Amino acid sequence: MTVALAVANVTVRFAGLTALDQVSFTVEHRAIHAVIGPNGAGKSTLFNVVSGAYRPTSGTVSLGTVELTRMPPHRIANLGVARTFQNLALLPSASVEENCLLGRHHLTRTGFVTGGLRLPSARREERRHRGRVAEIAGFLGLGEHLATPVGQLSYGDQKRVEIARALCVEPALLLLDEPAAGMNASETAHLAHLIRDIRDALGIPILLVEHDMGLVMGIADRVTVLDFGRRIADGTPAQVRRNPEVLRAYLGDDLVEA
Amino acid sequence: MTHFLQLLVSGVSLGAVYALLALGFVVIFRATEVVNFAHPALLMVGAYFTARFRTVDKLPFAVAVLLGIGVAMLLAFVVQRFLVQRMSGRSVITVSIMTIGVDVLVQTEITRRLGVDILPIGDPWQNGAVHVLGLTVPQTRIVALVLSVALLAAFFAWFRFSDWGVAMRASAENPGTAALMGIRRSRVAALAWIIAGALAALAGLALTTFPAPGLEPATSAIALRAFPAAIVGGLDSTAGAVVGGVLIGVAEVLAQGYASELAFLGLGFHTVMPYLVMVVVLLARPTGLFGTRELHRV
Amino acid sequence: MSEVQELTRAAVEARPTRGGPARRYRAFGWLALAAAVVVAPFYVDAFWLQIGLFGLAAAVAALGLGLLLGQAGQLSLGHSFFVAVGAYGYTVLAAEPEPGQLGASLPPVVAAGAAVLLAGVAGLAFSPISARLRGIYLGIASLGLVFGGQHVLFNAEPLTGGFNGRNVPDFTLLGLSFGDLRGEALFVLGVPFGREEKLWYLGAAVTAAAYLFFRNVARSRPGRALRAVRDNEVAAEILGVDVARYKAYAFGVSSMYAGAGGVLLALAFSRIVPETFGVGLAVEYLAMVVIGGLGSAGGVVLGAFFVSSLPTVLERYVPALPGGIPPAVAAKFAYGAAILLILVKTPRSQRSRP
Repeated sequence: MTVALAVANVTVRFAGLTALDQVSFTVEHRAIHAVIGPNGAGKSTLFNVVSGAYRPTSGTVSLGTVELTRMPPHRIANLGVARTFQNLALLPSASVEENCLLGRHHLTRTGFVTGGLRLPSARREERRHRGRVAEIAGFLGLGEHLATPVGQLSYGDQKRVEIARALCVEPALLLLDEPAAGMNASETAHLAHLIRDIRDALGIPILLVEHDMGLVMGIADRVTVLDFGRRIADGTPAQVRRNPEVLRAYLGDDLVEA
Repeated sequence: MTHFLQLLVSGVSLGAVYALLALGFVVIFRATEVVNFAHPALLMVGAYFTARFRTVDKLPFAVAVLLGIGVAMLLAFVVQRFLVQRMSGRSVITVSIMTIGVDVLVQTEITRRLGVDILPIGDPWQNGAVHVLGLTVPQTRIVALVLSVALLAAFFAWFRFSDWGVAMRASAENPGTAALMGIRRSRVAALAWIIAGALAALAGLALTTFPAPGLEPATSAIALRAFPAAIVGGLDSTAGAVVGGVLIGVAEVLAQGYASELAFLGLGFHTVMPYLVMVVVLLARPTGLFGTRELHRV
Repeated sequence: MSEVQELTRAAVEARPTRGGPARRYRAFGWLALAAAVVVAPFYVDAFWLQIGLFGLAAAVAALGLGLLLGQAGQLSLGHSFFVAVGAYGYTVLAAEPEPGQLGASLPPVVAAGAAVLLAGVAGLAFSPISARLRGIYLGIASLGLVFGGQHVLFNAEPLTGGFNGRNVPDFTLLGLSFGDLRGEALFVLGVPFGREEKLWYLGAAVTAAAYLFFRNVARSRPGRALRAVRDNEVAAEILGVDVARYKAYAFGVSSMYAGAGGVLLALAFSRIVPETFGVGLAVEYLAMVVIGGLGSAGGVVLGAFFVSSLPTVLERYVPALPGGIPPAVAAKFAYGAAILLILVKTPRSQRSRP
């Protein structure tokens, strides 16, 4: 049985900087896999490689048996790789519904001609997918806000719209980029439940980059630790927590007792 | 062969003028992230007021030049301070389109004042020419070339070594840190625009003295050709502006000089040459020869 | 699970319903407008009809730029080039060949359609450039189109008549000529129907179709994709939008709009010269789109009428402008200032949606 996602010896070098150095790990089916590391460790770079925004200098990324590495990002999305963005890449003047419908882009066919002429096939498709968006929005508690411009929502709600949009892609793999950023303890606890619910309901692997240790240790099945672009640990949360390399990376040499 | 050398010299001197304009663009773009479509307007304003002060108010040439440059600098400052700064945070395209509005307003006014007249600048060199190595070069072109080179050299020295120059580069590279270190972004921005205004005004002088008959509405079309020069070099590269300017100038003059051989391309092809060069360069290098390749940060 | 079901039901019920009094007012407004358009030639004199013709031609072209700039966020300063392709395309294809002047003698309807397609092809041909260039680089590159295009127009005399221009063949549809026929007069309800009257209906029909198509595109999947390209190109790509392809579509469709506007413009002028299709015209279209609020179809149409008719209206109705300024100049001041003020003042979130 193949793994869901395999990152193999990925190296990313630009402008004289090595952002990722021979990083390898695998994500199992139905696993919640966290990538952690100090600031600048290369976590976002890794996400950008998996979703196709960056092309690695060397190494491969495979989703099941399909190699993603040289694919343009929109084709990677077609395969069902969905992600949220650290800085929230929403369209602020558009409604929640409109933003989520964008996630349905690769599942729909209406083009300029069918859309411009408002043919019945276009109208039917629109209705069907709006229905599905409503379902997913409801699942995330955004039901009342479907028509609200996203810019008017609270930060927490906007983060949920990001996740809703990613779910609207009907993902086979979900990438969450620092989903707990800016959240307090109770919001983070809700988020933890939500991520587990998504995994249980959809049965998909979830890869997340995160700084919040509580969240990571609480829900992750496996953790990969990066530091200066290199993988320094990979294992269960318990294993990683005890790993001296990891402690050194986070706390510095002086504070680590052998 | 002399024909070719003559054209080359002419091309380089025109290119130096384009370099001045392109440099102004690049300085504005790096400091305030705007493509200033009102640049031709700055040029026209500088040239117009210099000509007016000289021919109507009969002021000495040097004084007229200084005043003309001053007016251009003032206009540049006003645009930056009261329009561009008010739009900080908006997208590059939006602010750039706004400068189109400025250009329309200012150029319409200048054109209205010029009417159908051609306004001579009244410079002291007139149509004097220098004969060297079998080549004939107008004195004004030599002055323009020398002046441009001197200005470019002075600018780069200032940019590199002076406190203000360093501040400008720091601000363009890392605005946050620069601000934390006490460099006032608004001051750097205003300075950038003022310098660009001065450069544009000087370029305007070069374009309206011999062999040009003087300042006329068509002069702004020549100024427009500095856009391709800046793009070819890369919108955020000062060195690129110089290279781009010279490249475009030489290409244009060569096309004009060999017009009879290129007659099949149509009359007046040399005015299209800069744009052709631009498109060719952009196909090979989408951000210009020396422009920074964009990194897709999400 | 039942909580999820409840939430879902609430979500579906909360969706905005499109009914009620607001809808009735809107429908009434459209009906009134349609009636005014149909009735106009019977009551309005030739001066205003001619303004209307130019306004409609401008509206169709401006809608194209609205799609490209307002929806897709691509700055193009080359719109007048594609308008020229439409105008000259129709003229050459519909004209009778003469010594020194090419013509294909196609039926005007076919020529018009072909000209629009030609403009669209030209737009698509620009796509290798549009795919590779970002933002402002694209805008400046498109300037090259205008200058290059005008150069060809001035020089390709057998096609364009060169500097002096060319007559535009009359439009005919099903045997009915849309030009002025000497000695013959068509009377409808007692009112003589000449060139302007007939072209008015043609223009209005084309504009209505263009407007509706724009609105439908904006409200459906392709519109969403374009706006995603506009607001965050990289994120759009990651969400599955083939950005290069959508940019090409945007240029192709907007160029077809420009071509259609060009055909109408040629018919309105009845004689076209290369001088018309320069940077000034491109800036005018830009002004129309900006004044119209960048994204809104209705706004763009209004902006188009405003910018295109201002000089003529000023000339006729404002006898002496302050400072003895000629009307064309005053109009330029007006829309230059409009671009400036509107952009400086409007914050993003207030810009209208289609």
